[in-house]
Amino acid sequence: MSDYTLGIKELDTAIGGGIKKGSNIMLIGPPMCGKEIVLNSIMYYGAAKNENAVITVTTRESATHILEWFKEQKLTLPLSRIGIIDCVTKTLGGASVENENIKIASSPVDLTGIGVKISQFFEEYFMKKNIRKTQLHINSLSTILMYSNIQTVFRFLHVFTGRIKAAGSLGIYMIESGMHDEQAISILKQLFDGMIEIKTENDKNFIRVVGLSPKPSAWFEYEIEGANVKIVGRK
Amino acid sequence: MIETGIPKLDEFLGGGIPKGKSIAYYIQPGVEGEIFGLQTIYSSLKKGKTGVFVVSSTIPDIIKGQFKEFGWDIHQFKDKFFFVDAYDTLIGAPSNERFVVSNPDNIEAFSKTIISAMKELPSSTIVFGSLSTIIDLCGEKETIEAVREWNKMAKIYDHVMVYNFTAWPYSEETLKAIKEDIFNAVISVGGIAERVIFGQYFGIFKSDWTKEIKKSMLFRILRPGGIKLYIPKILVTGPFDSGKSTFVHALSTRAISVDRLGTTIALDHGHIDYKGFSADIFGTPGQERFDPIIKLLSGESMGVFLIVDSTNPTDFIRAKQMLEITKSYGLPYVIIANKQDLAGALTPEEIRKQFNLPLDVPIVPVVAKDKKGVYEAFEVLIDKITGGL
Repeated sequence: MSDYTLGIKELDTAIGGGIKKGSNIMLIGPPMCGKEIVLNSIMYYGAAKNENAVITVTTRESATHILEWFKEQKLTLPLSRIGIIDCVTKTLGGASVENENIKIASSPVDLTGIGVKISQFFEEYFMKKNIRKTQLHINSLSTILMYSNIQTVFRFLHVFTGRIKAAGSLGIYMIESGMHDEQAISILKQLFDGMIEIKTENDKNFIRVVGLSPKPSAWFEYEIEGANVKIVGRK
Repeated sequence: MIETGIPKLDEFLGGGIPKGKSIAYYIQPGVEGEIFGLQTIYSSLKKGKTGVFVVSSTIPDIIKGQFKEFGWDIHQFKDKFFFVDAYDTLIGAPSNERFVVSNPDNIEAFSKTIISAMKELPSSTIVFGSLSTIIDLCGEKETIEAVREWNKMAKIYDHVMVYNFTAWPYSEETLKAIKEDIFNAVISVGGIAERVIFGQYFGIFKSDWTKEIKKSMLFRILRPGGIKLYIPKILVTGPFDSGKSTFVHALSTRAISVDRLGTTIALDHGHIDYKGFSADIFGTPGQERFDPIIKLLSGESMGVFLIVDSTNPTDFIRAKQMLEITKSYGLPYVIIANKQDLAGALTPEEIRKQFNLPLDVPIVPVVAKDKKGVYEAFEVLIDKITGGL
């Protein structure tokens, strides 16, 4: 059964139509391959097309930046279903005002605080707004790993991947490839049901999905057009 | 003795925390529990005590901002309130605080600063904003040993030690040491979860200066305001004539019903105080035309009793439909197999089959008119609601 879709048709088809609820997925790729845009496009598709709630934990860009990006792309996000936990603004000393869409965590070290904000958004969507399907996107684990050691991050993820399962949600966790040692990645992999993998070869970007279908999907070549992830070929 | 300033907690603790004692707020991840330490230090400052706040997960200014959000003016205590800054040096920033941990991922450096603060200051309330972050940075065993040492020193210098601890899945040994061994008192701060966390409570897990009180209080956090107690709502629903009103009246210490010709048309309302847990109970009407009321009432409930007449299987379809309405809010529920005294009553197991319910859904046999099984049912539901910690 496919409860969630990525909105990239070729990938969704390759894994049998979509992803089942309660899944936790790692999105891994090298720097500058456009994976933020891949994640943004999954966010837009999930919220605007599938009418899910989408909670994003951002450790790299401020919440305001993310919302502005969508505006620049002329994409209208359904704000009542968008929650962003901003771990950047406060540490940079920026003005931080919480509102319906934005909650401010005190720093990327403050995993307890981030956890509280995630739970609060979950409660709001599930209990108050009666939205059954929620996606949790973490952008990115790499920054969190810069501030906390692997055991700490593992414990944090252990709790929240469990909550994703219990709530029948979808979790997507972004991580830079090549930035952490192999051992760290394989420790974290235990927590995930599958991976969206991105690689760059000869200036071309490729994407595939592993672990969500009996065999890994083919590598699809993609290009980014504005906010759109367009599949242009197959390896 | 210092007061925590948290409603009911001081009463449970026999007035507050005596000098020289240590207390840990043992917080389930995802529950907004760090405010317990904040409220404790503020209450202690207000009573003229000296306060120290150990910051390890963010810069001191952000903690100051949090006090402000709660409407607590700490500026007035500036001669009596100090920070131990164990964050700025971690990110390589300069610190303006009186006490600075030079190397926050080294427990000896930590101990050095903590102990010098303990020696320099008069009898104080020392609050650790996040013990878990210290454990994360310095190691589990190392930190536990250091805390043991700090708590000993506190006894000598008459300080009160307060620790916020988020119970991430650390080793069993660490969690056991924290729960049972190294503190004089442990307050558990938990979340009520079914599919998501939707309510929070605290209770005394242990305390060596007061007799054990088995009570949990639900709370909400107000900004401004801080921790406020909250009386939960429990919903009683079920088909027409299944015995909902009888159940509400049997369970409640006081109850009223709004009915006409013996059937409930608006709601039943009761209140129960049982084994330290109090709740408001709302019974819904059973007829379909009143379904909007069920929706209205279930939105803010903490749990559901679904009453079925065990002698009337034809009503089970309707019961299931009512369950779906409340289940869609993700509420924990217990099924009450009522009228067990009548001939032809199905057993809970037969009902489970008819309903096609998984084994983890509790079905409790009850005779509501004789109050048989009603308190057992309440305990089962409370266990379901507060399960998880």
